[in-house]
Amino acid sequence: MLILSLDSTAVVGSVALCRDDTPLAVFTVKNGNTHSETLLPMVEAVLNTTNTSVADIDLFACAVGPGSFTGVRIGVATVKGLAFGREKPCAAVSTLEALAENLVPFEGIICPVMNARRGQVYNALFHVENGVLTRLVPDRALSIAELERELAARGEPFALCGDGVDVTTAGFQTLVPSAVSPLLADQSAVSVAKCALRAYQNGEAVSDAALSPVYLRLPQAERERLERNNETKE
Amino acid sequence: MLRELYQTKSTQETEALGAALAARMQESDLPRYIALYGDLGVGKTAFVRGFASVIAPESTVRSPTFALVHEHRGKELDLFHFDMYRITGEDDLYSIGYDDYLTRNGICLVEWSENIPFALPDAYLRVTIEKCDADHPDLRAICIEEVAAC
Repeated sequence: MLILSLDSTAVVGSVALCRDDTPLAVFTVKNGNTHSETLLPMVEAVLNTTNTSVADIDLFACAVGPGSFTGVRIGVATVKGLAFGREKPCAAVSTLEALAENLVPFEGIICPVMNARRGQVYNALFHVENGVLTRLVPDRALSIAELERELAARGEPFALCGDGVDVTTAGFQTLVPSAVSPLLADQSAVSVAKCALRAYQNGEAVSDAALSPVYLRLPQAERERLERNNETKE
Repeated sequence: MLRELYQTKSTQETEALGAALAARMQESDLPRYIALYGDLGVGKTAFVRGFASVIAPESTVRSPTFALVHEHRGKELDLFHFDMYRITGEDDLYSIGYDDYLTRNGICLVEWSENIPFALPDAYLRVTIEKCDADHPDLRAICIEEVAAC
């Protein structure tokens, strides 16, 4: 099965063509939030280099969030456009699950973190069981302090990945993450493809029309900040 | 830290002050985020118009009250002109891609910053425009000051 996958949910933009689990071509840039200008030329380069046409693709996959509002929309819209009218399945992949996939087979808790600004991260927690990623909590936005409390309570070694690694490591008071290669910290469309294949095999693929962005917003942060601002005014 | 007070007597003078600040910003390491404070009709957009005439001379500046943010392609730096008048919280900010703009190579000019005190960057320029003389309705007191988190 030929899978075209992409991730544009943060500063990294990544496009991959995989045959099942095997990457055939990967194109990743980390050059600022310019996905609206770079993503489609990257798709074109990946397809041309491998002598593949869009019609050959069996499964379209996309990291659908959480992440940057514009980045998420660009990725989802691009996949919708490529798949439109082709009756081919699409897989909506959590950005966090794909990030966690980078670190398989880490023994312990895999803890992807994306910088959601103002002391918050987008996060989920995963285990690896028999080589397969297993989700422990749903995708959420939470403060770095809350994340540290939760990881401390679980009491297991953990590894971080994602663009929030630095802000999270700096924000933790006592916990120290396990060392992993920084090469694995960034979004990779190959990981998106792996998650997409799993979703497809589990019958979770959708039509291009049903592919939707997932925005995790910060109602709690908003509430807390409004309270804090009111206090300072008083 | 920068702190300067000016008086302008007309819209044209307010624009010229905006243009002068833009020229200085190109040649210095002043924060590339300007939070604008001031009542309706006091001249915030005029200040931005002058500022844009230097950074993005091809562009036409209008108040972004409806669109929330206007992007102007500049010669070297892009200019992002926000109006936070209708923004009430994090969810609204997220859905205009606010944080994405902060990571781009550009200058943010933000009208109605009063509405987003929780989301201002660590360092920015605060520009306050006020009417200052009831007998001279065109007179404005304009304060430009640098703000940085301790």
